[in-house]
Amino acid sequence: MAIINQATKELQVKIVYYGPAMGGKTTNLVQVHDHVQTTAGNKGKLVSLATSSDRTLFFDFLPIEAMSINGFKTKFQLYTVPGQVIYNTTRQLVLRGVDGIVFVADSQYEKMTENVESFTNLEENLKSLKLNLSDIPYVIQYNKRDLPNVAPVEYMEFLLNNREVQVPSFTSSAHKCEGVFETLNMITRMLLHKFVSQSTPQYA
Amino acid sequence: MATLPQLIEEDIQRLEDELRELLKQTDATTALIIDKGGFLISSYGDTRQFDLTTIAALASGAFMANQTIANLVHETNFDNVYQQGQKHSMFVVCVDEFCLLTIIFRAEVSVGVVKYFAAPCAKSIAEQLQTAQQRDPGAGLDLSVLNVADTADFFKRKR
Repeated sequence: MAIINQATKELQVKIVYYGPAMGGKTTNLVQVHDHVQTTAGNKGKLVSLATSSDRTLFFDFLPIEAMSINGFKTKFQLYTVPGQVIYNTTRQLVLRGVDGIVFVADSQYEKMTENVESFTNLEENLKSLKLNLSDIPYVIQYNKRDLPNVAPVEYMEFLLNNREVQVPSFTSSAHKCEGVFETLNMITRMLLHKFVSQSTPQYA
Repeated sequence: MATLPQLIEEDIQRLEDELRELLKQTDATTALIIDKGGFLISSYGDTRQFDLTTIAALASGAFMANQTIANLVHETNFDNVYQQGQKHSMFVVCVDEFCLLTIIFRAEVSVGVVKYFAAPCAKSIAEQLQTAQQRDPGAGLDLSVLNVADTADFFKRKR
């Protein structure tokens, strides 16, 4: 859970990018790292624990310090999980202390089963941490919209966002940086709203 | 999921005092208190030489991964990780359910000394966190000063 430090007036928030393998989670972080406007020193290094073929092995990690709001320094820590099915224990470890989630779905038709399996896996892993997806701010990103064989957004909404409360969703082509910042700004907004509106925030 | 208590200035001061004493006793370079989710809570010593934010994220990940491995071989008594280096070594020890104490020290410094003094330091840190918890267990934090009406451009893309 987020750290709200009264002594130093700092708010630290953990956002995890989740989704099926090769869906574009790491690409999202790379694009944020490459294109975000920050003042000097407010963007940390992008750390990737990846295999020699650039598949995420443990996680990617990008710390960014955003603007100060009324004296509160806001620090965001962006993580990705490894998408491959065998790395489930690792995904559980990365989810520990999560505040917000970006689910990155692959829009290609043949990836729909993997998308649904990954989403179900997310819910199961949260349960193992005694968390419930409905209590955590999350957004869905339909990535790879520039490819020719993509499923209609309505169909993907039906598969992944067909719940009592629908969450914000975005189309994207992460490798062109399209939709990346829109997604990040929305999850940021939802998180800050949660912190302000909840009567007993987590800890400081 | 239960969380850490609110930490006020007095708590942070006490935690820093503990870290300062630990560095004095061990001749270690830097000490950090980190949350098991990867956040840096407090640090003391040489904080310029290292990227502490990233170290906190990776050290907590490495500790949790090692703990999981230990569980897989039915080891239930797991509470520390030692990384031996040629220039700097690192010792990570569990403080309580939520926190870890990470100590970075030069290779010439004896790991035995670090382990010896880290144990009571971790205990004191745990006690301070406990004190903070008991002070006001249900305490909330007024974040009404945060104006979140317009965060559309919280992160801006370079053009």
